[in-house]
Amino acid sequence: MSAIHLHNLVKKFGDFTALKTMDLEIADGEFMALLGPSGCGKSTTMNMIAGMEEPTSGRILFGERDMAGVPMGRRGVGFVFQNYAIFTHMTVRQNLAYGPRMRGAARAEIDRRVGAIAEMLQLSPLLDRKADRLSVNILQRVAIGRSAIMEPAIFLLDEPLSNVDAAFRAVMRTELKQLQRQFRQTMVYVTHDQLEAMTMADRIAVMDHGVLQQVGTPLEVYNNPANVFVARFIGAPGMNLLKGRPAESDRGLVIDLGPLGVTPPLPDELASAVRAVRGDVLYGFRPEQVALAERGLSMPVSFVERIGARTIVHLGEDESAVKAVFENDVGLSVGQTAIVAPPASSVRVFDAATGLAVGPG
Amino acid sequence: MSAVTATISEDKMDARTKPATPDEGARLGFRLTLPAQILVLFISAFPLLMQLYISVTDWSPLSGVGWWNAWEMWNSFANYTDLAADTRFWSALQRTAIVMLVCVPAEFLLGLALATLFADDFPGKRIFYSILLMPMMVVPAVAGYMFFMLFQSGGPVNDILSRILGTPVTIAWLSDPNLALIAVMIADIWQWTPLMFLILLAGLVGVPEDQMKAATLLGANAWQRFVTIVLPKMKTIIIIALAIRVIENFKIFDTLYIMTGGGPGVATETISVYIYKVTTQDLIWGYVAAIALAILIVLSIVAVYAMKRMAKAREVPA
Repeated sequence: MSAIHLHNLVKKFGDFTALKTMDLEIADGEFMALLGPSGCGKSTTMNMIAGMEEPTSGRILFGERDMAGVPMGRRGVGFVFQNYAIFTHMTVRQNLAYGPRMRGAARAEIDRRVGAIAEMLQLSPLLDRKADRLSVNILQRVAIGRSAIMEPAIFLLDEPLSNVDAAFRAVMRTELKQLQRQFRQTMVYVTHDQLEAMTMADRIAVMDHGVLQQVGTPLEVYNNPANVFVARFIGAPGMNLLKGRPAESDRGLVIDLGPLGVTPPLPDELASAVRAVRGDVLYGFRPEQVALAERGLSMPVSFVERIGARTIVHLGEDESAVKAVFENDVGLSVGQTAIVAPPASSVRVFDAATGLAVGPG
Repeated sequence: MSAVTATISEDKMDARTKPATPDEGARLGFRLTLPAQILVLFISAFPLLMQLYISVTDWSPLSGVGWWNAWEMWNSFANYTDLAADTRFWSALQRTAIVMLVCVPAEFLLGLALATLFADDFPGKRIFYSILLMPMMVVPAVAGYMFFMLFQSGGPVNDILSRILGTPVTIAWLSDPNLALIAVMIADIWQWTPLMFLILLAGLVGVPEDQMKAATLLGANAWQRFVTIVLPKMKTIIIIALAIRVIENFKIFDTLYIMTGGGPGVATETISVYIYKVTTQDLIWGYVAAIALAILIVLSIVAVYAMKRMAKAREVPA
């Protein structure tokens, strides 16, 4: 087992900078998800940890050991590929035995280790099956087993669930999380699916355009996004952000949202932080926390999505569009006007100029 | 608008009233391809049957009867018994086998080495690639003439050897019975390694990259990756490449004939050259038919064996 330290990691491909000065500490035994849209640099980061690519500058340390120049075969990392990269011309047993065999382990030793890992992953009955006709969840287990047999200190998983159909993903997520508990290794999991990151990871590193945006537990990044990108990216749908200008009123500090009117007063702690901001701010709140109220923002309903368990109501349009998610169906239809109010405690404010979160966070 | 609806409903009707059973589909397919099938049958089966017929007679174009009347010259399988006792035939067959056993493995190993080299990027790759494929595009007769010139005793090959060794070399490559066959094999390897390279390269780039990476991460070195991943994945394509070259090399003729004419004496007389000589010089066509049939049988066995191996390789990728 081993912690991973990334110091000032930079990766350039010619003129293109895939990763701009990344600093990240991944604790021993932690399940860290690298989350971001495609092209954000998450896979590049992972490939550098695995040793498939050399960083342009910066350092990667496993515990105390500097990994510069250590070839990927000697880093002691297990890697689960997006499509699992199972050796399809071999049996499950041959796949599992591949690592020890290549390192010249004795036959009895290989048999013992393959037996043990197969037992753990419930692959024993499948050992002599050809690997090209297995279902995805078996493939996933073989891929993990094939790496786990080498007892790697670090496990890297590159979007392993992206080829799996939606219905099966929940099963696979549960299985993967259980496996991590069994192995207790440091795991780095690359994904663009926030649901996977939220459900499995101990901490999430949100990335965009080669820049690390925020690191935190799933609830931290959900509740207290560090900036506008994280606020919009996390959550489905993302956080509502309305542009406005702070204004004093007799009830306290409010945000003047222009044609939408003014917001309810901000809580004291947040208000004092917002007073320090010069210029416009973004008034943010989660669609799930919106409630219909007597007083609040009055907006026309533009669209209603009913998706069974939840109802998503689209309010306003363009710059001042807001989404509201309700647990049950609501009696709203297009053309009506809804008065919505986010609870004061769930309001987040961002500096419109820098995009950074304002206040106690 | 109404026209479109009409077409759609008609189609629907059609589908409902005339369900095309697989049986019916097969019959229609058979009827449609019948003319082509008859043509193919004619051009493949007819010469074969004609050959079989002539091979049991003493017929020759000079015998004064049409080939269809060759039965008048029936010789009760004498051609086949002659063939069994024909030492010139057997030594030609042996020589063909030697050429094949040297050339095909050499072309395979060179082709594989080059393919491995070209699977990675290196500066000037595209230029080298074009140069490498050129021999394949040279007309074999031209290649034969080229090597004929190269291997003259005062030719460039001896010239280069002289410069390297520092003493004048005047090896009579094409008139020395031992060296002539070597010269011929060099020409064949020069011309056909590119084909092998091309086929094997196609197989090599088809090896999944992530499986190679996975093997590397699991600690396999380059040689181990080659043996455990690359070769098994390329099995089918290797069998195809070898089968093509074995069959083609067995029929080696044009380059060789121009370089040596089968000589000196019979030193480079392969089976094709022998058949050619019997056909054009001795004019015993009944005998020629018998030889050709014997070879067809040998090559068919090779082809069937290769196809069986291929089916096996695809079914149980080991």
